[in-house]
Amino acid sequence: MKKLILLAFFFILVTNLINAQTYKTRDANIYFNPNKDLSHKDYASQSKEGTAVLKVETSEVALLVPMKTFHFNNALLEEHFNENYLHTNKFPNATFKGKLTGFNKDQLTKDGVYNMSSEGQVTLHGVTKDFKAPVKMTVKGKAVTFDCSFKIKAEDYAIDIPGLVKPKLADFTPIDAAIVFQLN
Amino acid sequence: MKKTLLYFMLACCFFLKASAQSDLLGDLIKEDSSTVKHNIATATFKSTRIINLQSVEMTGKGNLQFMISHRFGYLWKTGKGLTNVAQLFGMNSGFANTYMSFDYSFTDWMNTGFAATGNAQFETWAKFKLLKQQSGKKNIPITISWFTLMHWDASEGPSPDDLAWNRLSFMHQILIARKFSENFSLQLMPSYIHYNYTPYGINNTNNIFSLGIGGRMKLSHKTAITFEYTRQLNGYKDLLDETASAVNYVPDVLSLGYDWDTGGHIFQFFISSASTASNITQLSTNLNQMKLGNFSLGFNLNRSYGIKKVVQTH
Repeated sequence: MKKLILLAFFFILVTNLINAQTYKTRDANIYFNPNKDLSHKDYASQSKEGTAVLKVETSEVALLVPMKTFHFNNALLEEHFNENYLHTNKFPNATFKGKLTGFNKDQLTKDGVYNMSSEGQVTLHGVTKDFKAPVKMTVKGKAVTFDCSFKIKAEDYAIDIPGLVKPKLADFTPIDAAIVFQLN
Repeated sequence: MKKTLLYFMLACCFFLKASAQSDLLGDLIKEDSSTVKHNIATATFKSTRIINLQSVEMTGKGNLQFMISHRFGYLWKTGKGLTNVAQLFGMNSGFANTYMSFDYSFTDWMNTGFAATGNAQFETWAKFKLLKQQSGKKNIPITISWFTLMHWDASEGPSPDDLAWNRLSFMHQILIARKFSENFSLQLMPSYIHYNYTPYGINNTNNIFSLGIGGRMKLSHKTAITFEYTRQLNGYKDLLDETASAVNYVPDVLSLGYDWDTGGHIFQFFISSASTASNITQLSTNLNQMKLGNFSLGFNLNRSYGIKKVVQTH
């Protein structure tokens, strides 16, 4: 009898451990367009190779985007992005770590759109800043999509924009992140 | 005994739980840095040319590049005195070789182009990237490109019934480059030129070989100094033309340049001992003696356009 209780206790602990679910994706999509006039796409860029993790129990999230996976329409601009502005040999990744507020794991079992916010730290170009932005979570069957749109200022991250280009760019760069997790 | 087992199990569980609670981002970074990557050397040179000759670089995939280039008259003609100053060291002398080209890359390993090189000459080429300098998954110390060029002389020839076939010449060049550091790159260029038409006379040949070396030293993110030296190996000495007069070509060509990347364009200002615009004439029939006054100023101006859209529109 005692043995049985012991085993049950052990089982509960282990299942509890397994229940600490984490979801992971390797194709997080990050898009930005720094143009003042957003219909211009000359400086717009996209990476589809971000890695994101979500830990359901603690609502913790983390995102890592290798800077070299940002591609541009014009190859020369891509070279400038890497060599002159973001110095991607020195700072190879952009990262985010933080928490979702307004998230609970029951939402994952019901289809719908949930609004919440994320709070944490962004590291870009070697500079770490506090970050807070609203997030929209869409649950549809096994797919959970997080959409987050926010704006950053290049100067905050010590990114020098030359005077010649500056007039064409907005003061704040809008960034869209779309992260899709597959529940299993 | 049972008690020890219990404690042991509990300890195991808490240990597991503790390890499961470790830092999410830390794990991502660890995982990212432990995967072996392809670190391909990019931007070995600023432009698709070092100065006169091609570099291993190619216009980006899906990009169209337009290049215009000028080579002016002699820097200082002996015996002309202050006229040289009035001629602004060749730039205002009323003489310039113009070169205009378009090139497009269908893939990231192949580039094709078309050029008008002045004096009713035209060129078309293809450039293939055969090997990319990289570290990580594979270790390759050098980048190799193969440049192949066809040159068509459409000028009024010595005889009007010149066969079109005779007006063609070809060049093959192997470009071997290494980016030694962020700032310093070197390139070796052996070339082979073939003239379909064998010129009348003695000592002439349709097959000409030459060797070249070029390099770049970055001064800042946007500027660099470049140099180029080529040496013709055969077919330049004591040639006799159809009037039986002797022709001597100058086998050495030396050039020094300054690259300036403005953000949208790449300007290359240079001074070179060859004033013709085509690689074939620079490497096989250069007439400019190598002395300071015979150098000429020039520039290349590049602009590339993203034709194929890589970024999805939102």
